[in-house]
Amino acid sequence: MLLDLSEEHKEHLAFLPRVDGAVVAEFGRIAVESLRRGSNPKIYDGAARKLNVSSDTVQHGVEGLTYLLTESSKLMISELDFQDSVFVLGFSEELNKLLLQLYLDNRKEIRTILNELAPDLPTYHSLEWRLDVQLASRSLRQQIKPAVTFKLHLNHNGDHSTKVLQTDPATLLHLVQQLEQALEEMKTNHCRRVVRNIK
Amino acid sequence: MARALPPPPPPPPRAACARPQQLSARRVSRGARVEGHGALTMELSESVQRGFQTLADPGSFDSNAFALLLRAAFQSLLDAQADEAVLDHPDLKHIDPVVLKYCHAAAATYILEAGKHRADKSTLSTFLEDCKFDRERIELFCTEYQNNKNSLESLLESIGRSLPHITDVSWRLEYQIKTNQLHKMYRPAYLVTLNVENTDSQSYPEISFSCNMEQLQDLVGKLKDASKSLERATQL
Repeated sequence: MLLDLSEEHKEHLAFLPRVDGAVVAEFGRIAVESLRRGSNPKIYDGAARKLNVSSDTVQHGVEGLTYLLTESSKLMISELDFQDSVFVLGFSEELNKLLLQLYLDNRKEIRTILNELAPDLPTYHSLEWRLDVQLASRSLRQQIKPAVTFKLHLNHNGDHSTKVLQTDPATLLHLVQQLEQALEEMKTNHCRRVVRNIK
Repeated sequence: MARALPPPPPPPPRAACARPQQLSARRVSRGARVEGHGALTMELSESVQRGFQTLADPGSFDSNAFALLLRAAFQSLLDAQADEAVLDHPDLKHIDPVVLKYCHAAAATYILEAGKHRADKSTLSTFLEDCKFDRERIELFCTEYQNNKNSLESLLESIGRSLPHITDVSWRLEYQIKTNQLHKMYRPAYLVTLNVENTDSQSYPEISFSCNMEQLQDLVGKLKDASKSLERATQL
């Protein structure tokens, strides 16, 4: 699958051959950093001054590169497809190689970042547990009531949350049984066939 | 209480909470059993005692009326469908309704206190004797109490605050193919939902979270640890 680059995008990327390889590599680093942490306009100003061009030009160049990398990572295009897509830009072979390397080096991380953008439910982080026995309450003395107390740690969009919950021994056994069945499902023929055939 | 225990110690029962030292000192000197200790801490108001003194009097409550009132008291506590009509019995009509309500309240209060402290037959008898009950009425009360003891204790046990309680779990296994942000994902994911009950607010929130296989294995592993630990504890 080839990338479809818009005219505007190609224009922005046209800045890249005007600088040398080290600068492009640096832009690549800034691009990934901006995906991780958000963009920082001051960096563009500094680079613009050093390269003797406008800040906008630098910004567009970096953004063009960022978009190139994210689209390629999102679609998980092959090396060959990437090379062919970039070929239309008419860059030097050296620049093409550099861009390919940037793509391959950063693809995994970019995909991880993109994954976090998906509509998401809280994900499981860990579970702490504790055994308790209730001995008395305001309404009844001399009890022996076992219970298991949990602290469930969840992550949601970078926020960590905890929930404190309790259950009785019978329900705990039920939970274990149900969730073990869930794990077993992945080993069934049906699931194995699906995983094998959808690629 | 007029006569707490032989020998009557100087501080009144109400002070027992304020002076716990005295309480344990008394226990040690008397070599009291746990049940006896329970009776010490049962605090009964004057109105409860007066209500029982009225119930003891054959002039106010004949045998039949007494038995009916007793049954009504247990019924209004333990029967979820019971309402005010529980005292509407023809054989109770001749009694002043105010007295009827007063004694019914006294009986219900005492029954709850007795249940709360897991009073035994001797504690009940002692109190009823103090209120001038005859042997027959004491026997009837103790029998009724014994018959209803389990339901009473279940009811009392269920009252109270606790943490949100997990009642059930549902799960869903999906195979993720793509999102608009990321194509060619090809990985399985689980969606787990815990059904939770809140005792006080009667609400049923759900807690849902997603996890991959490793995370679910971690979760199940920890749950199994807890359950094994529970098994070992019960064998001690």
